[in-house]
Amino acid sequence: MLIFDQLKRDDRTLRIISFGLLAGLAILLCGLWWVQVVSAKRYEANLKNQSFRSVRIPALRGKILDRNNQSLAENRPRFDVNLYLEDLRDQFTAEYTNTVRKQFLRDHPGAKITASVRTNLIARARYRVAAKITAQISTALEQPVILDEARFIGHYARQPYIPFPILQNLNPRQVATFAEQLTGLTGVEMEIQPTRTYPNGTSAAHLLGYIQRRDKPDEDEEIACKYYLPDFVGRTGVEASFDNSLRGKAGIKSLLVNNMGYRQREEMLTEPEPGKNLALTIDLGIQRAAEKALAGAMPNVRGAAVVMDVRNGDILALVSAPAFDPNIFPNGVSTAEWSRWNDENYSYMFNRATYGAYPPGSILKILTGLACLENNVMSVSETINNPGYFYEPKLLGSRKIDDLAPPGEYNFQRAFIKSSNTYFIHFGLKAGLRKLVEVGERFHLGETTGILPREEVAGEYPHSDQLKSWTLGNAANLCIGQEVTVTPLQMVVMTSAIANGGKLFWPRLVKKIQASDAEKENESSLPGSLRADLHLNPRHVEIIQRAMLADVEDAEGTGKAAALKGLRVTGKTGTAQITKGNQVTDHVTWFVSFAPFDKPKYAVVVMVQSGASGGGTCAPVAHKIYEAILKSEQSTPSATTIAQRN
Amino acid sequence: MYETHLNERKSFLDWPLVLAVLGLMAVGAVFIYSASFANESARTLSWFKQLYVKQMIWYTLGIGLVVLVCAFDYRTLARWSLVSYWITILLLLAVMVVGTERLGARRWIMLGPFQLQPSEFAKIAFILMLANFLSRPVEELRSPKIFFTALGMIALPFLLILKEPDLGSALVFFPVGLLMMFVAGVPVPYLTKFVGGVGLLVILLLVDVLFAPPNWQIKLEAYQKHRLLTYFGKDFAPRNATPAERKQAQILQRNKSYNVEQALISVGSGGLTGKGWRQGTQYSLGFLPRAVAHNDFIFSVIAEEEGFVGSVTVLTLYTIILFSGIKIASQARDRLGRILAVGVVALLFSHVFINIGMNIRLMPVTGIPLPLLSYGGSSVLCSLIAIGILQNVHMYRRAY
Repeated sequence: MLIFDQLKRDDRTLRIISFGLLAGLAILLCGLWWVQVVSAKRYEANLKNQSFRSVRIPALRGKILDRNNQSLAENRPRFDVNLYLEDLRDQFTAEYTNTVRKQFLRDHPGAKITASVRTNLIARARYRVAAKITAQISTALEQPVILDEARFIGHYARQPYIPFPILQNLNPRQVATFAEQLTGLTGVEMEIQPTRTYPNGTSAAHLLGYIQRRDKPDEDEEIACKYYLPDFVGRTGVEASFDNSLRGKAGIKSLLVNNMGYRQREEMLTEPEPGKNLALTIDLGIQRAAEKALAGAMPNVRGAAVVMDVRNGDILALVSAPAFDPNIFPNGVSTAEWSRWNDENYSYMFNRATYGAYPPGSILKILTGLACLENNVMSVSETINNPGYFYEPKLLGSRKIDDLAPPGEYNFQRAFIKSSNTYFIHFGLKAGLRKLVEVGERFHLGETTGILPREEVAGEYPHSDQLKSWTLGNAANLCIGQEVTVTPLQMVVMTSAIANGGKLFWPRLVKKIQASDAEKENESSLPGSLRADLHLNPRHVEIIQRAMLADVEDAEGTGKAAALKGLRVTGKTGTAQITKGNQVTDHVTWFVSFAPFDKPKYAVVVMVQSGASGGGTCAPVAHKIYEAILKSEQSTPSATTIAQRN
Repeated sequence: MYETHLNERKSFLDWPLVLAVLGLMAVGAVFIYSASFANESARTLSWFKQLYVKQMIWYTLGIGLVVLVCAFDYRTLARWSLVSYWITILLLLAVMVVGTERLGARRWIMLGPFQLQPSEFAKIAFILMLANFLSRPVEELRSPKIFFTALGMIALPFLLILKEPDLGSALVFFPVGLLMMFVAGVPVPYLTKFVGGVGLLVILLLVDVLFAPPNWQIKLEAYQKHRLLTYFGKDFAPRNATPAERKQAQILQRNKSYNVEQALISVGSGGLTGKGWRQGTQYSLGFLPRAVAHNDFIFSVIAEEEGFVGSVTVLTLYTIILFSGIKIASQARDRLGRILAVGVVALLFSHVFINIGMNIRLMPVTGIPLPLLSYGGSSVLCSLIAIGILQNVHMYRRAY
């Protein structure tokens, strides 16, 4: 063979040269072996690292529907204008050579363009190109847009392979104008992004909550994906508490980039998995009626109304007034707007139905009465005299508690419907503080219901083991619903338990979670669940229920305004005092009720801050809500057809 | 007489050599195509402006030169060596005056659409010149005067090319010249002393550049110093640098070592079998700079796309050429032919070793092309003239 012939031949000089050549070639071979075979993995990793960028692609957010599949939150296309930087490379270069560079030389005669000056000038040229295009778009679409230089340069430095957003959320006219005048403009694309929309505006705003754009990834996601496209994250309401189901699973797109960082090719590594749809227990019709009714209670009403199905704990409506419009959040909200929604007096964002705890006042007499009945300290027929105040020096010393019920003889029902403080303090103290507190505990007052974990308060309610500091004076206050606070939601749960004979439900807001529109069968139902069976004596329940019926139907009842033809409504009014020192500064007015009396189905609780009285302010609201319920029951078939058509 | 004639006709061409050369030309055209077609703007050029087409034109012209070189006995050619040597020296001088400057080096003379790189041609003329000079009777070579004259023949083009500056090309003259002297019969002690002395100087220089405090260092061209520092993986910043200077130096270092890093990633990521022809991403995405992918770093392109298998194939083709050269040297009719053949082998080997070596960081980066594969007219023509000389020596060899 060629090589060995040479080595064998008797020619010392050439043999030495041959060995030299062989050694050199062997070194190259070893070097190549080392680089290409032994270290190949490392270099492949380097290659990948410098030429691939994984970008997180957010998934389509799931819809939120009411119990009849009416849409509460959905996605609509949003038209954005983006700048594709890789397509502008030629323009960048042209701008640099034709304008920026010349201008620099004119301004700095004799100056040398060093590498760093050049870098700056090229960056300047890029910005000028982008700004020119932005101005062109701005003029055509008749919307002022300023290209922020720092933002543009920052974007270019960090992620030139991701299109640079110029304008978001074009209105239909702008979309048309763009299509007419700007299509074909190099590097500029109009793109469709899904965005959140709440078709019913402020309706059910608090329970739906709002979402915000999130520009930075979670800690754990950062590891998987180096680059991030803005996603939406639920901040309050169902959007927040079911965020994981709604958001779906983000996909990963792998971009091949060149040495300048421009995108060359892209490939979807993992398709995004769309979020799941939520079907709520809410009935949009009832929800809207409740909102309208509450709004009509008084001017600038601040309050809440909750409607619950007493048979299973389904929340049919949950209203907090005043309400905000969740539509303003997905596209960013200005500071001015934000402070308007968080106005100190009205707190639009605040969910009064779950997050607000208020003194219950006389509506708690339901529990006081139940405690007295269960402890056999009160007979329904027994009457006591009410002098117009409660005064027992033996018990409360010199303290005198006013009674708004007129002086006279009171049995249980009369005391209940006239809401006599004297009567309930008298018998309540007989039952004793501990027994009174225990009843509330059985109704899980002072505990959250878990409906919206981040926006619910427990209210202040004592624990029966921690009553050492409680005096008889405190106990007297508790008898008439002062001293403690409750949420409207807790009250609707309590009222439901009275209505259904002692079954305390966990309130349910989400009926089912559907995988997606296509696979309806793949859905998980969240059944209503019983929190506690209170084992109430049916006779005691009936006494309370009848008293509540009388409060609405009796001529003397405080809740007469709730009465409705065709539906036997029951109720209990309450007006709690908010005191500062010894001064009464404000009132919280209540009306808790259920209907129909014979076969209870609905519990309605209305709370209005600074109302005139429970009967005057809140009972009419309940009346209107029941009216709507009655109407919707009568027209159920047609509601179903609407749902099917949707 | 009859037998000699028959023998010469029987192997008029040295077939392994010819096939290896054709093989390398094919590889060259195919991968220059690959490297240049990744570039969008290059793709829009008309076909006759495409680099691979131009390279094939150079190949064709080169083959013509091979035929031309073979048309005259190498002894006739050697007689003209003095003329060609001095012409190339003149050209090297001309470069300094009328040469075009690119990236801080003045290496080219524009001849209309062509860029002549005189240093390439100087190598060939030098081989002819030195071979002619050394082919005198062996006894005369023992004279120190002859030895120093030979060194002078190396030194003249060396210094001129060093001035361009093109340290890499300049340095090639030493191994080539020394090997030719060795095979000519210059006493080995002369050579060892010279190599030893130069080696010592180089080591001192390196130690000085790499380790000495700044004010003790010999003034090197900045680019040379940076290349050396890059090669030895040393920080650019002097030890007493301020943080700002250090940062500046780091950026500079990253820029300077960029080509080598990218070449290494190209070669390394090719792995065993490569990514496939035109599937390489390093140059198509521009990480391996497009300006060098088709010439100095063509090997990276081949290695990335064809992997270790491709690299070994290329290496094998060169091995065939080099050992054909050795065989031709051993069969040469006279000492002139023998020295010429070894000179050509030394030249080709130096280029192959330095170029492939720099692709895998065995050698510092220099502008030395890979014979027959790198894009470039001067390089292709000179490589083929060198092959022509080998073939010439083969044709007029001793008949066994």
